Amino acid sequence: MEELILQLKQEIIKVLNLEDVKPEDIADDAPLFGEGLGLDSIDALELIVLMEKMYGIKLQDPAQGREIFKSIRVMAEYIHANRSK
Amino acid sequence: MSRTNDVYILAAKQISVQPPLTDEWMDAPVRYDAPCARAIDPDYRQHFAPNVARRLGKILKRAMLTSRQAMAASGVANPDAVVTATGLGCIENTELFLDALVREGEELLKPTCFMHSTHNAIGSLIAIDARCHGYNSTCVHKGISFECALDDAFAQLGSNRIQTALVGAHDEMTPSYFALLKRTGYLGHAPNGFSGEVALSMMLATTPGDSALCRLRGVELEYNPDAETLQKTLGRMLQSAQCSLEEVDAVMTGVSGLPSNDRVYASICPELLPNKKQLRYKHLFGESYTAPGLGVYAAAVCLCRQRIPAHLFVGGQSGEQRGVRHILCYNHFEGKNHSLILLSACGK
Repeated sequence: MEELILQLKQEIIKVLNLEDVKPEDIADDAPLFGEGLGLDSIDALELIVLMEKMYGIKLQDPAQGREIFKSIRVMAEYIHANRSK
Repeated sequence: MSRTNDVYILAAKQISVQPPLTDEWMDAPVRYDAPCARAIDPDYRQHFAPNVARRLGKILKRAMLTSRQAMAASGVANPDAVVTATGLGCIENTELFLDALVREGEELLKPTCFMHSTHNAIGSLIAIDARCHGYNSTCVHKGISFECALDDAFAQLGSNRIQTALVGAHDEMTPSYFALLKRTGYLGHAPNGFSGEVALSMMLATTPGDSALCRLRGVELEYNPDAETLQKTLGRMLQSAQCSLEEVDAVMTGVSGLPSNDRVYASICPELLPNKKQLRYKHLFGESYTAPGLGVYAAAVCLCRQRIPAHLFVGGQSGEQRGVRHILCYNHFEGKNHSLILLSACGK
């Protein structure tokens, strides 16, 4: 799980072009949206694309994202349980 | 459309292959030998919050920054209109999007690249940033995009529809697009000039304020004109500006070093503009679809500072020229689209 969390942080930094952020700057349980990293709805779309491309997870209901993208840890747990690649 | 207002260029800011956001090229221009030069970018971290900058491609950062600085320098915080010229739009994002489209089999496309792959993303972003809810238009007409945008703003300002307009010229060059231009023989073959990038924002207004760069007296465009038509168009513009050809100090041309381009100036200028000193700017700023904007910018700076540096003269000149009153910008694109733009020093 720790390895997946680190990989996820690295991918998010790359995909969302968070130039000045390092993986260690992102707390595993900090909220990704609003506070914390301060991501927005366009970033949510980018994360949906990332989930499908990297892990083969297709979110059928975009509303699911609200729960899944709560924090890096929640996201990693969902990926661990549902990944197809 | 009848004209009732004078039009002034209040401020102009550029990011190009010359030092950004300054007029240093007047005295210490950067010279290029390479066939393709990318713009010299300022440190954007000084100007944008990380969460704003991270989603913007370079062309958008350049457009936003030059716009902000032109607004700050002119004291116009909220222009009545934003008119943007671009030949290629956000080509870097467009390429990223199209590459992904092919690579991913038209699935899993990045939304940010998609949003920024349209030509009018530039003008939209500027308007959002400036909170400008007025007229917003993007001119995409290859090598005459800038002239079309300027003509649009000039007509609306002159006819009292608007009082201020932010006019921009923005183009970036990618390695893949440059490779295509090189294959066509248009660019990249020394000594045929070099390819550059442009981000230019200028504030136009119907009143000069305290520190206008110059007056914009006329903008004329012609498609495939014969010599007589061009002569008549020039005469009409000069008459409207109550200026004679004798009073024009110099002509800013788009001479670039590319034989097929320069041949047109060589054939038209001696008859249309006899004995006029010719200036150039593409040897400093490079070639791009909206490069003519930088010709107008260079002429405006010369008029404001009342001097033309020696290095701008075609064929060279031993010293700079002082006491400049009127500069005519004459540009053509592929020998078909011709434009004439007359600028005068303020108070002339």
